[in-house]
Formats: sequence, C-alpha cells, structure tokens
Amino acid sequence: MILVWGPSDDPPVEYVLAALEDHPVDVVHLDDRELAGLRYDVVLAAAPSGWIELDGREVPLDRITGVYLRPGGAVDGHAALAAARVLLAVASSSAAATVVNRPASGRSNWSKPFQLGLIAAAGFAVAETLVTTDPTTAQAFLARHRRLVYKSVSGIRSIVATLDAGDADDCERLRGVATGPVQLQRWIDGVDVRVHVVGRRWFATRVESDAADYRYARLVGADVVMAPCQIPEEVAGRLVALTRRLGLLVAGADLRRTPDGEWVCFEVNPSPGFTFYEDATGQPIAAAIADLLADGPPPA
Amino acid sequence: MIVVLGSRHDPVAAALVDAWPGAALCSADDLTRPGWAWSSAAGGPHTWVVDGAIVDDERVTGVFVRRSTVYPEELVGTHAGDRSYLAAEAHAFLVFVLATTRATVVNRGGDGSLGDEDLGPERWMRAAAEVGMAVAPLRLSSAPPRPRRLTPTVVEVVGDEVVGDAPAGAARRALALARALDLLWATMVFDGRHRLVAVTSAQSPGAEATAALGRLLATPLSP
Repeated sequence: MILVWGPSDDPPVEYVLAALEDHPVDVVHLDDRELAGLRYDVVLAAAPSGWIELDGREVPLDRITGVYLRPGGAVDGHAALAAARVLLAVASSSAAATVVNRPASGRSNWSKPFQLGLIAAAGFAVAETLVTTDPTTAQAFLARHRRLVYKSVSGIRSIVATLDAGDADDCERLRGVATGPVQLQRWIDGVDVRVHVVGRRWFATRVESDAADYRYARLVGADVVMAPCQIPEEVAGRLVALTRRLGLLVAGADLRRTPDGEWVCFEVNPSPGFTFYEDATGQPIAAAIADLLADGPPPA
Repeated sequence: MIVVLGSRHDPVAAALVDAWPGAALCSADDLTRPGWAWSSAAGGPHTWVVDGAIVDDERVTGVFVRRSTVYPEELVGTHAGDRSYLAAEAHAFLVFVLATTRATVVNRGGDGSLGDEDLGPERWMRAAAEVGMAVAPLRLSSAPPRPRRLTPTVVEVVGDEVVGDAPAGAARRALALARALDLLWATMVFDGRHRLVAVTSAQSPGAEATAALGRLLATPLSP
C-alpha cells in the first residue's frame, strides 16, 4: 500500500495521486483535515509496529511500502498534532518503506547557508555568502562584490532581491541589517537551471527570465520561459549523489550555469513544487515519483 | 570563553553561566543586535554577539546549546508582525553558526537541527539497538494512554565520562550511543528492567556533569 499524505488541493499531491493510478498498487490519500480523527496504535522500538486506520481499515505498518509526504503545515488541535507526530515518526523510522522524503532529511534546507556547506562538500561551486547584522560588514561585502543577492536564511520563502554597489539607495538599505540576521550572496551571472532528481533519474529545466526571482516574475511584470534542457552527465551524477547524501529520494536543485561553463548550485529543495515545471515543460516528474513509490528506490 | 545559547528566562542557562568562569549568555536579544558577521569563506569574518558584546569566534572555546528553537515571543524588540519571520531567520542562522564555529559545541545537532530537535525516539531507538542496548518500546495510541509506573535510573554522559549509577554494563554502551548520536552531553533514562526509556539534552545537568561540561567547554581546540 502507498500512503499519500497532503492537502487535496496541493498540485504535487494531486499529480502524484493521478500518476499512481497507472500502477497496480493500493493507494490511500490522507488529507491534513482527517488527522484530528485518525485512529492508530503504534509501538516505536528499533523497528516500529502497529497499525494506522486508513480508508476505514486498520492497516499494519509493514503493509505500507511507500509514503509520499507533503503535509500542508497548518495542523490545528491536540489530536491532529499528535497524529501528525505519529505519522512523521513512522515515516522516519520505517526501514522497509520508500519514503519521499524522510522528514529529518529535509531539515538542511531550513538553514540555507548550512545546506550550502553540504552542497560545497559535494563538489559544487557555491556563491560566497555572508550572514550579518553588521551594516559596515554588509556594505563592505557589497563594495567588494559590486552586486549581491538578498534572500532569507531560513526555509521561509522570500522574494530574492538584488543590491547594486552603484545604487546609493541599496547601500543605505544595508543599514537595516542591524535588526536581525540577513543573508547576502555574491551575484552569479548565468542561466538558471532547475533540476528535479527522482531516485537516479533527473529532469533539467532551463529557466529564462529578466526577474531576479523567476518564481515571481509575473508580479514584477517580467516574463519567464521554461524548456527542458540537457546537463552534463557528470553534473547530473553529482546531483544524484548529493540528493542521496542529503538522505532524499526526490529533490529540486537550483543551479546556474555561468558564461564560463561552471555550474553553481544554490540550494536543494526537499519538497519541490515540481508541477510548476511539469506544466511548463511536459516533463513526467510526477510519473517518475509514482514509479519510485511503486517500485522502490534504485540500489545504492 | 564559554557561550551559553539560551533564553534570559531560563534559570538553568543562568545557573550554568554562574557556574562556569568566563561564561556568558547569548540570548534572543543578542540575535537582533548589530555585530554578527558569519561568512561561508574560511578567511571571512566570524563574530558573535554575546551579552551585548561583539566576540570574535577565535575567542570562543565552547558553546552550550540550551534551546531547540527561537520563539517569536522572545523577540520583544521586534515589531509584532515581523517576529515569526525573524525567529525563523535567527534559528536558521544559529544552525549555520553552530555547524561552522571553531568552538566545541554541546551539542552540535545534526542535519540542520538545533538542540533536541533531531533527537526523536525513532532516531535514538535505532541507534541504541545498534550498540546493543535494550530499548523500552514506546506505545503511541489514539486511545487514552494507560498510566505507566517508572522507577528510573538517570545517567549523564559528558564527552568520554559517564556520571551517575549506570545499570551494570550500561556505561560503555551509553558512551557508544552518545558517540553514535554525535552527542557530547546527554541524559539517558533507564527503567527498572534496565531498558533505555529516553535520551535528551534538554535536562538540567547535575552538579558533577556541570563541572565536567565546564572543563570540556573551556578547553581550546588545537588549531
């Protein structure tokens, strides 16, 4: 049985459920709204045992062979929170199931500069980064690199903005860093490429936009054009290895190919909203995730 | 210098600062003060703000982590509407700092976590089984829980030392478990059948463990 946990109106959940229809497997969807009434009796030990009630049936944990996790986040009430914790604990500890993705494995993305260290250790070029509350240090960093990117330190999504040394307003804005840590990154010229890794498969999408943050291009009146593209096998292999090293089976990696041909990696998203790219390119990402859940991960 | 990373409202953090010579508290207030600079580059700036003062990372010998998150409510100097965002940012920043400081960190946390965040039973139970420890199963049920009597034995691990009356043969395994979990300090609780019931770093260290932690955190790492 494959358990898909996430809100019904979340496009990746919807797409994965649809793709699983092509597989001869029992699939159960659990919406966040059902958590408060969820019945379970689970024993955590070196290997978990017990059951969870799904679709009105007491399902033994060892019958769950695949889990796709994309909970909505806003879980209210004691019973719902307790059920969510149990499900997360089961998803974390179940050795036999294919879990996309195990909860702890995605945690590195909650601190982007921390994750950047792991990305660099995997052999990727990364942008020099400074996190600071010191205006003088921030201004010196801008003066040195001439153009910077400002983005959130945490996993909370923020709109990426750029700062230019030639713009007096931007230099002045850096006085504001004194009230809390701000992440500044050297600007990297080049073309954005988003790569979705699914097990050993990968789907690369070239993204062209005039906006500093293409996800919000339309908000600033800019266009965004996406198309499938090829990336060197060596880069793809490194991404697959990095994804595995982070403990993930599925990931969305943000890269930029510089004019010199260097591949710079900015971050690895452990719960990618891949439908944005699948809709634009037709790449069968949901189908690949469904294959992975149904057939299990490739051998290490 | 020893940095205790915790809340101004945490009496344990305050007691540890008092117990360790030269220690100071790095509170949530400090996270929103000017002076922090943390570069991804080895030669770049690495400065803390501790009790209002800017401290170079080279001066910090040890960090004791007494928090697993930064709460929005702690950021009283920040506009109420910005507190949740800033708390998440400060948390993420601390994870970066603790992963890359030159100092000994108790405990460094794994995979981008802070404090006990990464120390769920699903993790320590598997690790305990791997080092040959008996583990008390933990039952989680949607039905009302049955009260459970426990006659606990509490053992503290500090670096390579075990403090407390470990069940027979358990001291060596407690050290092995701490190593497997990458913990320099932890409290381990055993039931009357000598089965492991809990592993945590959120407990207050006892007097003997506090002294041992003070020695560990005050020792400069070799360059």
